[in-house]
Amino acid sequence: MIARPYATFARLRERDPVHWNERFGLWVVTGYDPVVWILRHHELFSSAVIRGVEGAPYPPVLPEDAPLFDEVRTFRADQLVEQDRPEHLEQRKTVHSFFTPTAMEGWRPFVRRAVDELLDELRPRGRMNVVTDLAAPLPVRIIARMMGVPREDMDTLRGLADSILHLNRGEPDRLRPLAEGIRGIVEYARPFVEERIRNPGDDLISALARGESDGVFTRHQVLVNTGLMLFAGHETTMNLICNGLRAFIEHPAQWDRLRADPDRFARTATEECLRFDPPVKSTQRIVAQEAELCGKTLSPGERIRWIIAAANRDPSVFEDPDTFDIGRQPNPHLSFGSGIHYCLGVALARMEGQEVFGGLARRFERFALDTDELRYQPSIQFRSIESMPVTW
Amino acid sequence: MVRIEVDHGLCVGNAMCVATAPGVFAHNENRQSTVVDAAGDPEALVLEAAANCPVSAIRVVEAETGRTLFPPEPGAGS
Repeated sequence: MIARPYATFARLRERDPVHWNERFGLWVVTGYDPVVWILRHHELFSSAVIRGVEGAPYPPVLPEDAPLFDEVRTFRADQLVEQDRPEHLEQRKTVHSFFTPTAMEGWRPFVRRAVDELLDELRPRGRMNVVTDLAAPLPVRIIARMMGVPREDMDTLRGLADSILHLNRGEPDRLRPLAEGIRGIVEYARPFVEERIRNPGDDLISALARGESDGVFTRHQVLVNTGLMLFAGHETTMNLICNGLRAFIEHPAQWDRLRADPDRFARTATEECLRFDPPVKSTQRIVAQEAELCGKTLSPGERIRWIIAAANRDPSVFEDPDTFDIGRQPNPHLSFGSGIHYCLGVALARMEGQEVFGGLARRFERFALDTDELRYQPSIQFRSIESMPVTW
Repeated sequence: MVRIEVDHGLCVGNAMCVATAPGVFAHNENRQSTVVDAAGDPEALVLEAAANCPVSAIRVVEAETGRTLFPPEPGAGS
């Protein structure tokens, strides 16, 4: 189910697109239309999935780690993604202009250079682990530059980002590295925030700090959201790169098509990678007001998990949905969500995908997997390959 | 009075604008945003919707003068 979830998702989508899962006590929504309907009705479905819900952590944690859960909850409660309107819009506005497509285009030369440097260094080796050699270092390098922190802090930031990635994992002892990562990023960011409040620049931390000066954020919210920016663009982009490259390895004809004309196909190929095997499989809402959906009644307080990876292969929207077609257009996948929480970093993610897949296609003739089995993190939310050795 | 243009080459139908100014924007049959009534909400909400579109697909023009209200013209300051 973790390694090959698509057949199960398809069965569920066909039989019961809005399904009550008794075992986990939550709604599982797999049809494209019901998912979109939920995301467009933010007044009915709250994003306060941590903040608004009492009770023990799930998946379970070690009993002695219970105090850490409160610490994690306090951190997560202040994340932008946990807010509903009207606060959400005011907070999102503080960083929106940093992430517009036009603003992001200004970063493209830097992103391309970062990709070129990494790939040129890797090429003579003949092998790499895609996760640790390419997919993990690249996004941290880019977001660190956007935050305006020194390049020599890169390893520190990567370490913190790795710890914070335990946020969505299932191990019973996950709260330890997670709490360490949370404390670490808050302490790391604090002096930068203090400095940027006094001397604002045009970097991302300055944009968040301005939110405090404007009365939109508390200091804790600025620190937490600095951590969120580091984390949110990290695992998702890693997964885009790994899952996308896996799709290309398994569909050599599509790889040849990209190689023949990377300038033409980098954009649509990135969208197809996002649709075909999305970085985020699913995410959550809490029912805020009673709602009717596909003949089911959803009651306040109930949890909903909407499955992007299932909706993206709904045959009522996508022709031949199980076919990986890098020329697919239109491609209205839901990998960035929809509605008011639509991915803030969409333009950055697209650009990173386009530059990586384009850069790989210009340099490498053929990749082969150097393992019999790809293992995935045991996460219901993220589609994360653990280790991905390849040769060329 | 404003004129509102949605670039359907950019619009991905995420409906941020529909959530912000529901009197002005709605989805068409292609799940893309379209203007149903340019005067359906106060101008401030229209500008808010345009400014917060994640893919910058919305342009707002003052109908009488043709002056662009959003996005800001280069050199006009921000």
